[in-house]
Amino acid sequence: MTFTSWQFGMLVAVVFGAYYLPPLRTLQIQLLVIASLVFYGYGQPELLPLLAVAVLGTYLFLTLALRNRRVWLPIGIAFNLALLAFFKYKFLFLDPTSAGLTGATPIDFLLRLPLPIGISFFVFHNISLLVDLTTKKNIAPDLTSVFLYIIFFPQLVSGPITRAEMFMPQIGPKYFGDIPFVEAAKWILTGYFFKLYVANNLNEMTSYMDFPLYETLRTQDRWLLVFLYSYQIYADFFGYSAIAIGLALLFGYRLPVNFNLPYISVSFSEFWTRWHISLSSWLRTYLYVPLGGNRHGAFRTYLNLMIVMGLGGLWHGAGLSYLMWGLLHGLLLVIERPFLARLQSIDSIVLRATRVSVVFVCVTMLWIFFKLPNFDHAVSYLSGMFASDTNPNPPKLSLDLALLYSLPVGIQHLVSRPFFERILNPVEPYVYGAMAALMYLEAGPETSFIYFQF
Amino acid sequence: MQLISTVHWFARCGFGALLLLLACGVATAWFGNGQKFSSTTTRDGTLITFNRFIQESVPDVALVGSSVSFRLNEEYFATLNLRNLAIAGGSPLTGLEIVANGKRLPKVVLVEANVLSRSTDAALVEKYSRNDRAEPMFFRPIRTAVLAYENWRHAPLNHAQVSLALNQLLKQPPSDFDNHIYVGRARQLLDAEDPTVATRASIKRIKELMLSLDQRGARMLLFELPYSAPIEDTQSVKITREIVHSEFPDPDRWLHIDYTRSELRWADSVHLDERSAVIVSQSIDRALSPLLGQAIGR
Repeated sequence: MTFTSWQFGMLVAVVFGAYYLPPLRTLQIQLLVIASLVFYGYGQPELLPLLAVAVLGTYLFLTLALRNRRVWLPIGIAFNLALLAFFKYKFLFLDPTSAGLTGATPIDFLLRLPLPIGISFFVFHNISLLVDLTTKKNIAPDLTSVFLYIIFFPQLVSGPITRAEMFMPQIGPKYFGDIPFVEAAKWILTGYFFKLYVANNLNEMTSYMDFPLYETLRTQDRWLLVFLYSYQIYADFFGYSAIAIGLALLFGYRLPVNFNLPYISVSFSEFWTRWHISLSSWLRTYLYVPLGGNRHGAFRTYLNLMIVMGLGGLWHGAGLSYLMWGLLHGLLLVIERPFLARLQSIDSIVLRATRVSVVFVCVTMLWIFFKLPNFDHAVSYLSGMFASDTNPNPPKLSLDLALLYSLPVGIQHLVSRPFFERILNPVEPYVYGAMAALMYLEAGPETSFIYFQF
Repeated sequence: MQLISTVHWFARCGFGALLLLLACGVATAWFGNGQKFSSTTTRDGTLITFNRFIQESVPDVALVGSSVSFRLNEEYFATLNLRNLAIAGGSPLTGLEIVANGKRLPKVVLVEANVLSRSTDAALVEKYSRNDRAEPMFFRPIRTAVLAYENWRHAPLNHAQVSLALNQLLKQPPSDFDNHIYVGRARQLLDAEDPTVATRASIKRIKELMLSLDQRGARMLLFELPYSAPIEDTQSVKITREIVHSEFPDPDRWLHIDYTRSELRWADSVHLDERSAVIVSQSIDRALSPLLGQAIGR
């Protein structure tokens, strides 16, 4: 079930209608858990048992780790990483269409299961739960609360990856009068606008980046499409995160902000404090810092950065493209690190604009590895950007539409926030209304959220 | 207080949305919804043509085909009131079904017989065959605005406006573009393809539609466009030609187009380049002239 389907709208309406009824107040958590199971099971009911195993297993290890952290915490983490590794990386080693895999029916059944939607996200939630709650030696929360934290439907399949220490204290009775309706509406409208108007329309054009269509493109169109994809992936994922935050607010929960204008970053390290913030913060807390962070000299710091970014790349998918994407980001972080302090000390608008441009262009070029998970295709696309094209009948792309559909991303990033607020404040509700109308009138063809595949 | 300001916010938000919807609704009712598609891709160009086909008066000649005929731009033809409904990457049957589903028919329907192995685009047929012609209440404002802007900047040209440029193009020698890489690729694909089953299925449907069009007073004619010599020799092309000619042996079912083959070039070995497309369009003009009673002067 996707956020843009009418079935999802119905689900939210029904659950919201029942959620704040006084007789059901004591059952709010259970209601959200049931809604989340319906949301998840609607598309892949056969994977509900896996979700149950992941949550129940984590709960068991949490209970044990609260008694003996040293022994059971690593086992609990290993259990979750094994789940992730099995489902995400098994297809590297086997062909699910082959007739007999092992000969044992139950094992073959497991091996043939598709990649569970959102497994990368809920496994990270599980690990956060195990680490956070055992660090502070909390008493074990009840199973329903654990279920809610892990499978809360707005964040279940694509985050934001909420840390347990942030979410668990929020679990409690919720009241209709406490809902920040306007704030929730702003998040939801912005999210849907970026998804339907920007991302889905740009997707019509960037589908020409897929193999073998990209072979027909003119060189300049290859460049154009890479930048359009950069806008699209931002609009798609920012849109999803904004909808998730808005929906969670409707049910009384505050999820972390996941994006903060990433394309105006002046350095790669700043980019990672602005893009998919919940993932980078998770990786920093649970991987980079335990590895030693920057506490053991320059070489170890660089090595840790490469390890974290490489694993971060692999977290997105089992493929050389994702690994390269992560490692190249790691390399950029390593290269810029010795110069950061000096660059930061120079106060120049020209230098700042240059740095923003360099970071944006590099980040954008690396999205090619995201768009084309087949490494050979990615390299072929990239090399075609620097060669002249010979196709006498290339597809024609509309530059006007490319500009108009990517404009909201540009405006959001380039117009300063105080200026925005000063100008927009008196007309803000009308602008949101116009956005709502525009996303209905001008919605691009339906496509799933890019991050659903992770 | 909080509740009142929340209600005010939503009321103004709703008003903003309503205002834009109303503006688009009124504009749609005023201008019609025929400009809802704009050219994001080559295919969308075809959709614009289909929009014009169902909205404007029925043309005298409708040409349906695949990407092979797609290159024959309407402005290349001197024949008045001709609409090219060929679909790049599509089947001639898609256009033929749409034409046949219309309440009124063109006098002549030309069906390209080069590529008959592709299936009909059912969604496109359904979309452009609605008898009630019910249009959505709103057009897409951004695409419509872009289309209006593009039409203003690059208004579609008619034959009279381009004839001078076409004549100059024809005076130039044929292109010497080296297309051997494309020839190799295309040969590989076309030699590996056996279109027998799909072509026979298409022909069965074409015969049904031919009967229906005949009964309704339209004249349906098949035509073939030339390929470059190495492509003519491929398995797929030879099988298709053999089946089509054995199924339609009557010469009166064919539009006989006459051109100097040595003047033709294929940029990618399959599709005619611009100069060649003009030459072939003019030969189609000459073949159509006696059928329509039009004097085609040049």
